[in-house]
Amino acid sequence: MRKAQKVKKVKLGKLAKREARMGYIFVLPWIIGAVLFLIVPLIQSFQYSLADIKITPKGMKIDFVAFENFTQIWLEDAEYPLALGGYFWETILSVPIIVVFALLIAMFLNQKIRCKGLFRLIFFLPVIIVSGPVMNMLSSQGAATIPSMNVAAIRSALEGFLPYYIASGFSDVFSNMIMILWYSGVQILIFLSALQKIDSSLYEAAKIDGGSGWECFWKITLPTIKPMILLNAVYTVIFLSNNEQNNIINIIQNAMFAGNKGYGYASAMAWMYAIVQTIIVAIVAVLLLTRKDAYDKQVKRRKKELRKQNRTLRRIRRRNRRKEKSVSSLSKSKGNVAWHTIRKNSMTLGKNGGEEHEKA
Amino acid sequence: MAYKGHRINPQKFEKSQIKIILIILPLVLVMGLPILYIINHAFKPMDELFAYPPKFFVSRPTFDNFTKLFKASRTAGIPLSRYVFNSSIVTITVVFSSIILSTAAGFALSKLKFKGKFALMNINQAALMFVPVAVMIPRYMTINVLGITDTFFAHILPLIPLPVALFLVKQFIDQVPDSLIEAAYIDGASEWKVYRKIVLPLIKPAIATAAILVFQQVWTNMETSNYYVSSEGLKTLTFYMNTLTTTQNTVAGQGMQAAASLIMFLPSLVLFIILQNSVMNTMAHSGIK
Repeated sequence: MRKAQKVKKVKLGKLAKREARMGYIFVLPWIIGAVLFLIVPLIQSFQYSLADIKITPKGMKIDFVAFENFTQIWLEDAEYPLALGGYFWETILSVPIIVVFALLIAMFLNQKIRCKGLFRLIFFLPVIIVSGPVMNMLSSQGAATIPSMNVAAIRSALEGFLPYYIASGFSDVFSNMIMILWYSGVQILIFLSALQKIDSSLYEAAKIDGGSGWECFWKITLPTIKPMILLNAVYTVIFLSNNEQNNIINIIQNAMFAGNKGYGYASAMAWMYAIVQTIIVAIVAVLLLTRKDAYDKQVKRRKKELRKQNRTLRRIRRRNRRKEKSVSSLSKSKGNVAWHTIRKNSMTLGKNGGEEHEKA
Repeated sequence: MAYKGHRINPQKFEKSQIKIILIILPLVLVMGLPILYIINHAFKPMDELFAYPPKFFVSRPTFDNFTKLFKASRTAGIPLSRYVFNSSIVTITVVFSSIILSTAAGFALSKLKFKGKFALMNINQAALMFVPVAVMIPRYMTINVLGITDTFFAHILPLIPLPVALFLVKQFIDQVPDSLIEAAYIDGASEWKVYRKIVLPLIKPAIATAAILVFQQVWTNMETSNYYVSSEGLKTLTFYMNTLTTTQNTVAGQGMQAAASLIMFLPSLVLFIILQNSVMNTMAHSGIK
């Protein structure tokens, strides 16, 4: 291990170099595409968000206005900050619902039942329609609500003890219950594939030891599919935020072509939206991130200590060399040899120290 | 629990299955509603289309909407087949190239070591958060600079780097055990071979999912036809269907719109049924434990 470290520090080894080169080759096509059509436009839109843009017959006229767009949105726009707050709560509330629902359905579909293939097909089907205009049609005609559920009553009950934002978020979630269920197709598929990869001998072993189905779920199923839960949660956030049913996207698009707002204003809106999304994803990630186990932590700490040790060693060596130089410039005949031997000693000492540490 | 070939259904019906079916069945009905709705909607005559409250099932089915749609398309200068051709070329190229790019990039980001890997991952994550609408105009300018306005490339290139696909595929490749890949290296496989023979077969479910998502995005995409292409003969079927139904009288257009959405929906359905089958089969066999 020490050897590998040494090699890394001096220069990349042949193998590592090759691996790095292959890595670049594999990523390169994607990078080119992403830079051209994602990164450059993103940077440009950030520039635009700091500017006032007017489209004239001669071309675009860009005036730099610093954060004026942002302040204008927060201080003067009646609609956007409210919509953003509503979106925040709605997403926070519907993500767990979607993920838990998807997990439940996936667990059911993983059982041995008849017509499983058909059920799977039907549960995944909404995925291929939700992005289309059909969804707009359905939701506008009220097909997305559960008729027997009295949303108004729930809403007034909630508003009694919750702030307006949160209460309206809750009631939106309730009134779009079926819609939320329709959104969970991809998540079901991801969970299903994760569930099928769990080794069935684990369950058998647990059963032999007297574990119930409930215990198996909490001790085997859930820990195994935890990475997939994170993936699903993040995917859900992104999907909810970027699909066409989302009101904020409409607001941004309208602002883009409105006379008094323009593209700069819309860009500023989009950037704020992206920041809110990032916050939500960060919350989800913090809640669900797999904790490193104790062994990993120890290894990491050990590595850190080793690095520190090496650093101090190098510092000592450097100091010695400097001293050596100054001494040798003073007296070239005797001192040189003396310092040399001392340095040698210190080096072997340091090496041994490192090795000992490694073994421990 | 040995899997026998591609059979996922148990052969016998047992009493113990009843409780599960009882729970699942109502949910299945709810999930199936939109499909029923699309299919029924396309066959509704005028008075049923506007009925309030709306009904899910058609009581007097007709083909009126379809005949109207084809009549309208016959009056246009460019034949319908041209749009179908454009759409299929664009969709097929984008789906294939996007899958290849995102699996290759996902493999490298997940399993190979090189400088700047984490920066790239973070950039992708950041791009995920961004509303596509907001980069429309800068994208147009890039396309303009590249000089590919009014070509097929204007349809294809902007849609290929889909951050969601990369994200999904990368997360799945993370699940592929390193030991499998190391074993292949020891046996003398190159990175390319590892990618082709180990990673790709193991992440087939993810590929199929990503393929469906990409297909969905491309097939229903109107942005490229709207903004990047001006010649009529290069626009896609989605765009055409949309203009048919919006430029006509909106009331009469409703029926045509319903018919058009059924037509647009069918390819997705077919693709999905094909892919779904292969997904389920490979998942049963995949060696990841």
